[in-house]
Amino acid sequence: MTMEADAPEISTTPPANAAVYFDGVSSRRRAVMLRFTDQLEIAGHEQTLAAWDYADIRRADSPSGMLRLACPTASALARLEVRDSTLATELVSRCARLDENTPGRRGVAVIVGWSIAAAVSIVCVVLFGLPLIADRLAPLVPDAFERRLGEVADSQIRKIFDAKACDNPAGQKAFVKLVTAIRESAGLDTSVQSGVLSSPIPNAFALPGGRTYLFNGLLAKADNADEIAGVLAHELGHLRHRDSMRGLIRDGSTSFLIGLLFGDITGSSAPIFGSRTLVTSSHSREAETNADGFAIEIMHRLGRPAKPTGELLLRVTGKEGKGLSIISSHPLSEDRLARMSREDRPASGPPLLTPEEWRALKSICDTKI
Amino acid sequence: MNQMSWPPRVPPGPPPVPVPPPMPVAFSGSRGEFFDLAKRGAALELVTLGFYRFWLLTDIRRHLWSNTLVDGDAAEYTGRGKELLIGFLVALAILVPIYLGYFLIGLEAERYQAFASIPLVVFFYLFGQFAIYRARRYRLSRTVWRGVRFWMSGSGWKYALQASLWGLLMILTLGLILPWRAAALERYKMRHSHFGDLQGRFEGRGWEFFKRGWWLWLLTPIAIYIIPISPFVYAGYKAIEWRWWLSGIRFGDVRLESSLPKSALIGLYWKVIGWMALLGLVFGIYLALCAVLVGSMSGEGVTEFFKTPELMRSIPLLVLLGLGYLVMALAMNVVMRIYLTRDLWVIVLGSVNIIGIEAAANVAARGDLANALGEGFADGLDVGGF
Repeated sequence: MTMEADAPEISTTPPANAAVYFDGVSSRRRAVMLRFTDQLEIAGHEQTLAAWDYADIRRADSPSGMLRLACPTASALARLEVRDSTLATELVSRCARLDENTPGRRGVAVIVGWSIAAAVSIVCVVLFGLPLIADRLAPLVPDAFERRLGEVADSQIRKIFDAKACDNPAGQKAFVKLVTAIRESAGLDTSVQSGVLSSPIPNAFALPGGRTYLFNGLLAKADNADEIAGVLAHELGHLRHRDSMRGLIRDGSTSFLIGLLFGDITGSSAPIFGSRTLVTSSHSREAETNADGFAIEIMHRLGRPAKPTGELLLRVTGKEGKGLSIISSHPLSEDRLARMSREDRPASGPPLLTPEEWRALKSICDTKI
Repeated sequence: MNQMSWPPRVPPGPPPVPVPPPMPVAFSGSRGEFFDLAKRGAALELVTLGFYRFWLLTDIRRHLWSNTLVDGDAAEYTGRGKELLIGFLVALAILVPIYLGYFLIGLEAERYQAFASIPLVVFFYLFGQFAIYRARRYRLSRTVWRGVRFWMSGSGWKYALQASLWGLLMILTLGLILPWRAAALERYKMRHSHFGDLQGRFEGRGWEFFKRGWWLWLLTPIAIYIIPISPFVYAGYKAIEWRWWLSGIRFGDVRLESSLPKSALIGLYWKVIGWMALLGLVFGIYLALCAVLVGSMSGEGVTEFFKTPELMRSIPLLVLLGLGYLVMALAMNVVMRIYLTRDLWVIVLGSVNIIGIEAAANVAARGDLANALGEGFADGLDVGGF
């Protein structure tokens, strides 16, 4: 009230358009005049419409060339719009806390800091936490559940590769003999199911719940029973270590967490795919190396050499080149052969299959016999 | 009210008030300012590994809203990035158990038949539609004009159910029913939209949409085979959709009209394609340069290096590729935001006329704020628009 003398002086600018006020109660547009007393008085034609404390006035978003003010303590949506630049400057100089709610440099720095912290923590969990959790959890998963998973994967894989089971009697007999020998020496029970699938792809794999499959394509490339025995022992090694269950827990949660980071929970975009490949393949190389060790041990127990398996692998993949492979899911075939030769022992037991049985196994997918 | 939706539009009819001139809508934002915003946002997204998206989205909306002047008064977006982040986190808390359950149910179903879990996708479709509705509700309730906020009532689940049933019909009719689907869903959304105590409604008819766009439906199968015409088809479709949608919007006695020509957006899409091609080319050159550089440093000679599979295994090369990819992806994001968000907004806005705006001169404020849960779901499920 002491500063009343100021009022006429300030509002000498064209009073009609000096400011526009919306009271937040209705959408009525009111031309107002501003009076600077110890508060900001917003005066309509007849009476004062509002009085805002300078300390409570905040800036609201506005188009360029306009200053728009809000006063959250008075009314959430009341707005005062000033187009005149001198009046705007005057207002800005009086409202000390005008930009308090506007995210400035500091706000952005906080966002960046927390984002990086979150990213680091997710990466640490992915790299160190998840493998640990997977190792602890995998043995706790009930067998029935694991078998069910295996069944699902089984029917999908058959559809994808369009593969049929090969089981002509002579070949099947030889195959069962071979698998049983390996299984017993590995100390696994009869829940392990194995079979040969007709597919030209030279590969073999183990599914959760005790299923191992050999593709016919690998049989076609093999020269003797020891080579195939090592491969089967390797796959049984995966079963023994429950690698697929561990892999499932780990990879599932890894893609989930990385997806979180990039904002896509379903995990389909390229960066997710890329980083996931890097992380999961490093784990899988470790599992493969362990399964190789297991295979070598089994072959020793059976009194058969491990080296032929390494030779088969190299024959299938060809030379893979030297250098560190961080995207490959398996160790390099050369390294695997080197390891199998290094730890090789000469044959001390009888051959696993007779020559006739071996021939029968090789032609297990021929239905014409 | 809905039955009488064919009022003569051009001749104003007998009311005592003379026809008010159509009120233009204006956009006051500068392109340079938006470019700076998009550039800075992309850089921050890179630094924060994507977390900045909530704030960038908010900044973009704030820029677009506050520079949109209707009847001389600018709108305002009062949403904040933090709300989106919280919405995202809450959505996560709900989605994570659902994903787990989905996984287990899928497992059970797959036991009986391979790929039997695919019908469960339907459930996620439903969820996505719910998210779309709730996200719109959030955006609308953060839109303020003349000190009064828009708001929305209605049920997201009812909407999702409707949308899914229409979606089923879409499949059965090979998409021919799309105009009627759009009209029905928009009627639901607009019936539950309000500006203060002014209730919205939608008067667009499926048949009008169909009449304007049926030839695009015929062109679509051709466009799948002849790719170069697909941008024309899509741009034409979007322009028709925008015009039809805007022309059907009503708030009380306030009516919107759009005169957007069918060809209005074609240039935009081609510009984006041009930029994509250019960025792709730059990325290709960058790749080649990186490969040559790394190859020549490996000491075996460049041609030797290309012959070995080592090319794909070299760590420096992979790092360079990853960096290049990220930068390119962000540059593409900037391009998309400028053309398909900002420029599109300006073009579409320029086509809008508002009739009877004086009905919005004294509207009483009503309605509450909606939470950002829908936005969170939309982000998590990868659906949603602006």
